[in-house]
Amino acid sequence: MHTTKEKRRNYRPLVSNKALQQTMGSYYALTSWHRYWGKFLRRPLAWVTSGAPVELLRAFNIHCAYPEQYAAIYSARKATVDLCEVAEAAGYSQDLCSYARSNIGGVLRPDLAPLGGMPKPDLLVACNNICGTVLKWYEVLARHFNVPLLVLDTPFLTDQLTPQVKDFVLEQLYAMAADLEEITGRRFNEKKLAEQMNLSRKITSLWIETRQYCQASPSPLNAPDLFINMAPIVVLRGSQKGIDFYRKLKDEVKERVELTQGAIENERIRLVWDNIAIWPQLFSFYKMFSEKGACFVTDTYSGGWAVEQAPGTPMESMATTYTEVFLNRSPKFRANQLINLIKEYRADGFVMHSNRSCKPYSLVQEVIRKEVMRETGVPGLMIEADMADPRAYAEEPVRNRVQAFLETFDDLK
Amino acid sequence: MSNYYVGVDIGSLTVKVVLINNDLEILGQAKIRAGYHGREVAIRLEEQLLADFGLTIKQVTATVATGYGRVTFPSDRELSEITCQAKGISHLFPSSRTIIDIGGQDSKVIKLFPNGKVADFTMNDKCAAGTGRFLEVMATALEIEWHEIGELVSSSENPTKISSFCTVFAESEIISQVSAGALKSDILAGVCDSVASRVASMTRRTGLETDIVFTGGVALNRGVVNALTKQLGYPLLVFQEPVITAALGAALLAREISK
Amino acid sequence: MVETFNPTDSKESLKLLIEEASLKGADRLNRYPKYRFFGYFCSYFPEELIIAAGLHPLRLLPDSENSTPVELPAYCCSLARGTLDMEVREKWRDLVGIGFTHTCDTMQCLSGIWAASGQSKTVDIVPPVMLKAPGASRYYHAELHTLLSKLTDLTKQKIEAEAIRNALILCANTRKLAAELDVLRPNLPSPLIFSLLRAGQLMPRSEYTHALVNSFPALKEMAEEPHNKAKVLVSSAVLENDSLFEMIEELGGRVVADDTCTGFRHFSGVTVSGSEDPLLDIVRRYSEMPPCPCKNRSLNERISYLTTLAKQRHAQGAIIIVRKYCEPHAWDAATLSESLRKNGIRTLTLELEGANAGGQERTRLQAFLESLLGYEL
Repeated sequence: MHTTKEKRRNYRPLVSNKALQQTMGSYYALTSWHRYWGKFLRRPLAWVTSGAPVELLRAFNIHCAYPEQYAAIYSARKATVDLCEVAEAAGYSQDLCSYARSNIGGVLRPDLAPLGGMPKPDLLVACNNICGTVLKWYEVLARHFNVPLLVLDTPFLTDQLTPQVKDFVLEQLYAMAADLEEITGRRFNEKKLAEQMNLSRKITSLWIETRQYCQASPSPLNAPDLFINMAPIVVLRGSQKGIDFYRKLKDEVKERVELTQGAIENERIRLVWDNIAIWPQLFSFYKMFSEKGACFVTDTYSGGWAVEQAPGTPMESMATTYTEVFLNRSPKFRANQLINLIKEYRADGFVMHSNRSCKPYSLVQEVIRKEVMRETGVPGLMIEADMADPRAYAEEPVRNRVQAFLETFDDLK
Repeated sequence: MSNYYVGVDIGSLTVKVVLINNDLEILGQAKIRAGYHGREVAIRLEEQLLADFGLTIKQVTATVATGYGRVTFPSDRELSEITCQAKGISHLFPSSRTIIDIGGQDSKVIKLFPNGKVADFTMNDKCAAGTGRFLEVMATALEIEWHEIGELVSSSENPTKISSFCTVFAESEIISQVSAGALKSDILAGVCDSVASRVASMTRRTGLETDIVFTGGVALNRGVVNALTKQLGYPLLVFQEPVITAALGAALLAREISK
Repeated sequence: MVETFNPTDSKESLKLLIEEASLKGADRLNRYPKYRFFGYFCSYFPEELIIAAGLHPLRLLPDSENSTPVELPAYCCSLARGTLDMEVREKWRDLVGIGFTHTCDTMQCLSGIWAASGQSKTVDIVPPVMLKAPGASRYYHAELHTLLSKLTDLTKQKIEAEAIRNALILCANTRKLAAELDVLRPNLPSPLIFSLLRAGQLMPRSEYTHALVNSFPALKEMAEEPHNKAKVLVSSAVLENDSLFEMIEELGGRVVADDTCTGFRHFSGVTVSGSEDPLLDIVRRYSEMPPCPCKNRSLNERISYLTTLAKQRHAQGAIIIVRKYCEPHAWDAATLSESLRKNGIRTLTLELEGANAGGQERTRLQAFLESLLGYEL
């Protein structure tokens, strides 16, 4: 296609991309072939939500696969519509989360799913710190596969974390450990958990550090880079392979800063992104910005994995860290988070993706947008789309808005 | 002396009237585009049809009304299009188990028991995608007459893809396809595929059983018939006058309720 | 003032309740000038504590399904949009506060949006989602304590244990009366029962129980064995008016089991009492009531409960309503429908923008009820 050439011209590819592909490729292969090695090594396969306490699962030698991650891949590979139609035909409303719909579609029709769909799980682990949808979604999966469903209920924080919330989550984590002992036949080993937490901390620090380099002008990374390079921190958190990859990425990003190499040519406008990526339009959408010299220097979405662990014993730390996830917090907290990003990254504006599929992320955005604009004085644009389902994307209206938004900066500068 | 029964189907776009006798023979039928004044148009159409056979309303044993305008029409009973469609189709095609009905404003899939009773049904949700209206809007945007669609589509070699599920978005999508230089026939084939895929998905929701009958105004459109046949993987039976099958069912039901 | 509105005549009492149900609290300042109301959204907000605080619980229902407040996107349910729009139009100005319970994602978001864009004082309670999780009861109990102190801050009055106990008794009585009404259900028009139950979420509870007790003789007089009615179960989220139930009744249906948020589910389950700490009784009541799709007691509890209920009531069909963009109900619709069908109960899943059933819904409902009644001879 003719767009490839333009993309090249506008965009600086990362050398570490090869390492990323290798790291993720081996993870997918390992996951796909799990049935040949999992039982032999007594390592069950769990399907988990992106906010699940994965360190605890890893401490039990459980191999984790992420339906949300696969759904993003389905979308980038243009399979979402077909898969969603399968789920819709099975009675799941078109208004439900497109990750969930395409995942269920892939469960019912693996032949339509990229990578041959996901391998069957031995257990399901959901944590409602990201949304209430995951509970309903995993209930459907638990009935379908007839495997245990473990749920960690992290009460929504209307303000600060209270002792009663922390105690409740902690008690559930211990109960989950007991359930996992039964499921895996292994004893819970707090030392092993501490090791996992350590590895997790390392990978998180590398991701934080990498992101902070983007405070430089021009920014060494743009939103699509962040979205693509977040894959290992989601699925390989707590693994040495993940750490190795982020070292490479960090070194390259650091070098770009030293050489004042930007992710895009002629960075003129620095923006912050809010909400999940628009996977089906990953390049064409962000290209509308990059070709006008607008770079997304940071975002709240992949930044969700750039949060340091809370203090305490490993279990306490997990209880707090997983409950304090930004999606589990008030609009006030979220607005402050965005305000800080705009200040720290010296952004000229921000773009919010009003994502039909994700109510907790999106419903509060207008209130946050107003607050952030008032507080920082920079403009904020709202775009309605969907993280995975291209049927909810209207190209012309989106293009118009983006263009109008970017033109406002021309007046300013 | 023979008895006469009338079925009246007042749809969103057209009014259909069917007259049958005691032996279930279709004596006559009439249809007309109506729009807003469905009730008045239907009364006049029924009178005209009866007059053609030298009959008056008084000589009709029973009338059943169906379609959007059924509630206000003076009849012996009003019944839903689903019940009437099932009756009409199972009379015409006793082997039918699945009915696909795409009309102006809605599309439905009706699953039948072997005895012709309604086992289950699904209708489109509240948007025009997958209906005759959707086709019409798109054809208008492409400046193509309704009756030209079939032929144009059959000449398409490379259908484009319509991705939006919203009619308004889809319209802007095909306009950008036109400006990008795509052939009208290819775009139109894409539109037919989109309607077919919506309806095929509804069909799978109710569970696909053969024989499948395709009825309603859109069943006259070869583009959609072919696309739907391809997507379902089964041949579709179509009555020569697919527009009147619900009115026929209404007439048959009029006979049953007066027994 | 109150006496004017609470007649002793049975038919008059019935009329009052029907009126209150259709007013949806709109005339509260005229009718109950001495009462102070506190708004709430979900059945999981413990009414007992509102009453114990000397306030009157008013369930917030939208006055339109087409409101589009700027704070919310179009893909948000009309309950949230409509009630927030009323806040912007200052329809809730007299309320002492508004209580939000974390049930669905939308309610969770609405609470924060309301606090940021409205004038009313908001109070949150976040009950456990996994009601049987280890530690859930203890956590719920602690949340109730927090709620108690928030309500105390709001009214500047201490809430005595005695007041909580009295509120428990009043709520138990209301639920008992609602259950009696539910028994009469097969022999009375479905929209009438639906109306009477809704009134019990809008009026001061003592006035409500009084009027309901008074109206029983009139109701019993009206009751008659139904002839050739299709018996159906209805499951839905909030329905702020009787439109759907009216249409079902008109088309030959009779609702024999009501699993709607603003219908019988609100009152179903038992009131527990007798604990030394009355808050423990409240925890048990709300943990054990038949769950809404946002709550989990075990994987299939809600589905089996509704399937059993439909069978017990000899329902021939079930109408599953999905309020547009209401995710929890949309999620359960597929499984619920499958479970009911396996048990020989036919189902219709119907999407509604708000509570109003219109022409398109009529066609679907009519076809469904016709198929239950066997018109397709």
